[in-house]
Amino acid sequence: MRIEKLVLRNYRQLRDVQLALDRQGPNDLHIVIGRNGTGKTNILNAINWCLYGDEPHLSKHSEQLPRLNLGCIEDAGHGGHDLQVAVEVWVKTEDGGTLIFERTETYRIGGDDKEPLRQDTHFEARVTDDKGNTKILVDDEASYCAERFVPQSIREFFFFDGERLDRYFKEATSQHIRHAVFELSQIHVLQSVEANLDTVLKDLRKDAGKANPAIEEVGDALEATEAKLAELDRQIEMCAQQKSLAEDKIAEYQEQLRGAPDAGALEEERRSLDTRNKEKRKRLEESVREKHELLFDHAIRIQVWDAIAESLSTIDEKRQKNEIPPTVDTALLEAVLQDGSCSVCGRALDESSVKHVGAVLDEIRLTSDIAKQLLNMENPLRRHAEKLGRFRGEMTKAAREIGDYEADLAAMERRKREIDAALDGYDVLRIAEWHKERSKFEETRDTNQKQLGALEARRQILTRELGELQNRLDEQLKKEAKVAELRAQISFCARALETIRGTKQAIMRDTREEIESETRRLFFALAWKSATFGDVRIDENFNISLIHSMGYECLGTASAAERELLALSFTLALHRVSGFDSPILIDTPVARVSDSHRVSFGQVLLQVSAEKQTVLLLTPAEHSDDLAQVVDARSSNRLALKLSADEREVRVEVL
Amino acid sequence: MTVAIDRLFVDENDRELYDRLETTDMFAGKTRKEQFLFSLAVGFSRGIKRPIQKREGFFLAKDMTLDDEALFSAVAASDADSVEVLPDRAKVFRIAEEYAHAGIRILVDEIDSTQYGTFEKNLEKQLHDMYDRIGVATKREQSGSTPN
Repeated sequence: MRIEKLVLRNYRQLRDVQLALDRQGPNDLHIVIGRNGTGKTNILNAINWCLYGDEPHLSKHSEQLPRLNLGCIEDAGHGGHDLQVAVEVWVKTEDGGTLIFERTETYRIGGDDKEPLRQDTHFEARVTDDKGNTKILVDDEASYCAERFVPQSIREFFFFDGERLDRYFKEATSQHIRHAVFELSQIHVLQSVEANLDTVLKDLRKDAGKANPAIEEVGDALEATEAKLAELDRQIEMCAQQKSLAEDKIAEYQEQLRGAPDAGALEEERRSLDTRNKEKRKRLEESVREKHELLFDHAIRIQVWDAIAESLSTIDEKRQKNEIPPTVDTALLEAVLQDGSCSVCGRALDESSVKHVGAVLDEIRLTSDIAKQLLNMENPLRRHAEKLGRFRGEMTKAAREIGDYEADLAAMERRKREIDAALDGYDVLRIAEWHKERSKFEETRDTNQKQLGALEARRQILTRELGELQNRLDEQLKKEAKVAELRAQISFCARALETIRGTKQAIMRDTREEIESETRRLFFALAWKSATFGDVRIDENFNISLIHSMGYECLGTASAAERELLALSFTLALHRVSGFDSPILIDTPVARVSDSHRVSFGQVLLQVSAEKQTVLLLTPAEHSDDLAQVVDARSSNRLALKLSADEREVRVEVL
Repeated sequence: MTVAIDRLFVDENDRELYDRLETTDMFAGKTRKEQFLFSLAVGFSRGIKRPIQKREGFFLAKDMTLDDEALFSAVAASDADSVEVLPDRAKVFRIAEEYAHAGIRILVDEIDSTQYGTFEKNLEKQLHDMYDRIGVATKREQSGSTPN
């Protein structure tokens, strides 16, 4: 199916606009160029409004304005008139028929600056077969028809803002993919069956319980356990989601940090080196001071060593001659002189004897003083000698200590230079922030992992309890003859539920695998640097990985264009797998793509348009010369949206 | 004139030289007595002593330890080539003062003629050389002079 025409009347700034999107040539590519404010995004909104009755891409500015075109309100003058907003989406079906969706909304113009009042809304689908017979479907039937064109639940994969392509694999990737697979698998049909069966099963058990209190008791316990299990499953899913989100973020940061130094750790190491450096330097200074003390101390001793040695030698000599300690008692001679008689024989001293004793005393006194001095000097001098003997050892020790500190300091300086070199050219703050963020998410992942473990263990216990309760219930039911029929119904319901749950899982798995395979195929068919990449994978947790040819995950470091290409491949894969071969309409598809990749991306879109109607809503900046060279000549239509001078109306020019 | 022996003297011109020692790492924070002892050692090791022209009290004798006094005495005995000088404390001090007077000038000249930080290195090397020389003598002295 493809959109042939869009007709918009009084819809926002698009007062009377027709966009003819007929295919001309091999590429079903349609380019609509418009400056900001000319209503490109409102074309997207108009399609959504027509098909589903809402406007998911409305800007804040547009939200404050009525849907009805301002120009037509003004032209209506003083109220009383009814005006209509209408959007038609003309679709060509595969069998050659035409399908026209039309949504209209009537407003009563109040006048006197009053807001127009909405009167009614009408939605219809006019189906014209190849023979020209037209059938008009309204309301639910029309909605059903729109669902067959593009289901509302997956419309975001058909009509979307180009920025979404850039964002798609940046945040909550696994949730997005899980959601897409879920919607595409039409699991909700099975889910409602599951819910209904569950209700029926509970009712049947209640009925059986009325027949026998024992059955009721077990039934209640069973129900309570099932509720606990459901709550536990909800918690497990939440936990798994948190873990998956954290893993996405970890992978993202890991990609950003690939090859980059661990700036946080290096900065920390540098800080620690600085602290240790200060301490070491302080110790070095202390050691140098101690060495200077030693040097000072020993310098005195060494320089006067000759004098020390001489004195020690004299002392030794005098000791050998028994001159020290003094052998004559000067006090005895002094007493003799004072008494005037010999204290040994008692004889009185004559004049010559007094002279003689006085002379002896003078000589002895001097000798004795010298001996005393020498004795006083002896120990201190020997201490000096002893200390001097330690000179070399102490100096060597001090020098070694200083050498060690200096070597440590040099090693630290070397390491600091290495760190500086490693960090040179990197945005250290940002890298450190990335490391911090990654650690934060690693913590979240680990916490959730632990919690998951605990929850799973609890789940096992509850599942076992549930099984036991089911067996008990079965036994009770067997015992009670009155409920034989109910028992058969309960058993059937339980088995049906089990089958549905298993089927749900299988469908999800198969759909995921199919999308994975199709995304991979499309990505490599469209990629302009296919040799750079090795694989595209979607794991059982719905995480998508772009694997580099060297084997590592590289989605985080892929360029915006490459990331958008992957998102586009995924989107197209969803189209294929869903079976809805409807057009793709992208608003601002290359706004995030760098100039150098725009041409490549343009070629990709050209390729896509060979098989699928592709409508691109571009700003003039996006429609650069390079891109224009690639796409213009091969596009089926090139249309420009031009804003009127009063900025209330837009007209379409064919380029 | 009675010469006081309660203190040690330096030449009044030397005080400025002693002050300059403070700027060298090794002498930073040293007392006057320690500065004096070092200068005395330098003067003695070079065999140069100079009479003091204008005496100025530098530190008190009571601040000297037995070890310091022993060094003074040893230097005086060596200088006088006689131990008889020992009981004459004034003379012992005077000899020390004259060596210190010569030593401080030599020391300051050496410090001034070297780059910052190299004085200590030169001194260390010098001491190792001297130690090598006296080390043998010390052993010889000690082996021959050990008291029985």
